[in-house]
Amino acid sequence: MPPAIETERLVKEYGDLRALDEVSLRVEDGEFFGLLGPNGAGKTTFISILVGLVRLSGGSARVFGHDVVDDYREARDAIGIAPQEFNVDRFFPIEEVLMHKAGYHGITHDEAKERAHEVLKTVGIYEKREQRFDWLSGGMKRRLLLARALVTDPDLLILDEPTAGVDVELRHDLWEIVSDLNANGTTVLLTTHYIEEAERLCDRVAILDHGEVVTVESPEDLMDRGTDTIYVTLEADLDAPPALDGYAIDAWIDAGRLAVQVDDGGAVAPRLLRDLSDGGHEVVDLEIARTSLEDIFVDLTERSGGIS
Amino acid sequence: MWSIGGRALFKREVQRFVRRPKNTFMPPAITNVLYFAVFGIVLGGRIDEIAGFPYVLFILPGLIVLGAVSNAFENAAFSIFHGRWNEYIDEPLTSPLSYTEIVAAYVGASALRGLLVGVIIGAVGRIFTPIGIKHAAVLAVTMVIVCVLFAGLGLIGGLYARDFDDLTVMNQFILRPLVFFGAVFYSLDVLPSTWRTVSLLNPMVYMVDTIRYGLLGYSDLTPTVSVGVLLGATVAVLALDIWLVKRGVGLTD
Ligand SMILES: Nc1ncnc2c1ncn2[C@@H]1O[C@H](COP(=O)(O)OP(=O)(O)OP(=O)(O)O)[C@@H](O)[C@H]1O
Ligand SMILES: [Mg+2]
Repeated sequence: MPPAIETERLVKEYGDLRALDEVSLRVEDGEFFGLLGPNGAGKTTFISILVGLVRLSGGSARVFGHDVVDDYREARDAIGIAPQEFNVDRFFPIEEVLMHKAGYHGITHDEAKERAHEVLKTVGIYEKREQRFDWLSGGMKRRLLLARALVTDPDLLILDEPTAGVDVELRHDLWEIVSDLNANGTTVLLTTHYIEEAERLCDRVAILDHGEVVTVESPEDLMDRGTDTIYVTLEADLDAPPALDGYAIDAWIDAGRLAVQVDDGGAVAPRLLRDLSDGGHEVVDLEIARTSLEDIFVDLTERSGGIS
Repeated sequence: MWSIGGRALFKREVQRFVRRPKNTFMPPAITNVLYFAVFGIVLGGRIDEIAGFPYVLFILPGLIVLGAVSNAFENAAFSIFHGRWNEYIDEPLTSPLSYTEIVAAYVGASALRGLLVGVIIGAVGRIFTPIGIKHAAVLAVTMVIVCVLFAGLGLIGGLYARDFDDLTVMNQFILRPLVFFGAVFYSLDVLPSTWRTVSLLNPMVYMVDTIRYGLLGYSDLTPTVSVGVLLGATVAVLALDIWLVKRGVGLTD
């Protein structure tokens, strides 16, 4: 089986702007792959090239071995996409919207109806099937995008920030649905800004910045590269951080609190507390801020010499 | 001939107007009742016969063409543009439909709307004036060709439009002048020879003339030549449609 996605030196230029700069990525069949990176990194552009909504300026991309330009029909047939922005036909009831999409993929009317009902049940909005898209709540709209991506039973499911702005329950529902699909062999490409989500779901993640791949690795390895910050509130305010040799990467005073940057907050906190009380400081409160994706990202780009 | 996918898109496009008969079929019916009332009943008696036909009968073929092609054009332009505007055109675009199928579905559905409107206007006209069909085959073939031609042009309009105003502009500044100088309301024979020649650059002239031949048996030009010209134009426009959709003009970044 060829890889689910394989790109070679993929380039996209919008005028002077290089949205993708020679991106070479390989996502294996059956993998759960994350695409991370700050706003404007090129994630959506990358995805849009695969489904034919953006024309590539250079390089090549294949989906299960089908070139996205030359064999676009085979490539598109394999993909189910839940995009970042709502792009749903608002004229028809959502049940019919799903049936239409299935129809474009060559699925006959009766089967399309069956599948539409099935995926509406999967995402939990079956009761709303006769309503139009505009009448759904924001969360239900997200659910519908997932249903539409699933109705063609794709081998490659692409989710572009599916959990942006949704509540905890829906986020967990989505995670469960998508994990099940992946367990049953569907390849998943997910973009997200939530590191927790990537950690929990993805086998591997790629970090993209300014259209370039910074790194491809497992979320665990990635988190290990990040740092935590321990915030300590002391009885008496400090003017300057005390010397914390051996484990503090950096230390500073942040709004009256002592901030200590360390590799692993949980492991280091007890030692930090001991050191502080040994130094005669009374600790009132302690908080560990886990590294956000953005922090890891900043670390990564800075440590790798910086990309601007 | 068509894949399931192409048929699904065609059906969706047809449902889009069939399910809103008040917006689709009522306006042309009402407009034409007004035309016939004014030109047939109020003014009809004061205007001389043209080529031996009462004025209302003479303009009826033109009104049918006018309604049919403007509806075919508008439907295609609006449907494509609206899909781009709300981005739901992504639904077919991200599907395994060939570019030819996409064009066939949009143009086919829009042309169908034009034909239905043409039939409605004919039926309305029948109430006001006794009209028969002299050459049914010529009439049918020409109606299909002109509706496809203008649906194909509408698709191009829909791809290039940047906002809803552009659609209005196309209608007001391109379609309307073509129609009004398209010999709908007069016979080419009344024009001085230079203007008659200039008129021949207007595709509308051939359309109206051929439909008039199909209905009344009267024509200023040679019907077979007209049909040939129109067919040529239609094939060229469809080829351009497919090329534009394939290149993603107005559709992809
Ligand atoms: N149609 C367009 N025309 C011009 N520039 C564009 C277009 N689409 C995207 N860009 C630019 O390309 C770059 C990448 O955008 P893209 O949407 O792929 O980023 P992203 O990683 O998905 O960001 P986000 O996390 O905000 O969704 C950005 O600088 C963006 O402004
Ligand atoms: Mg994006």
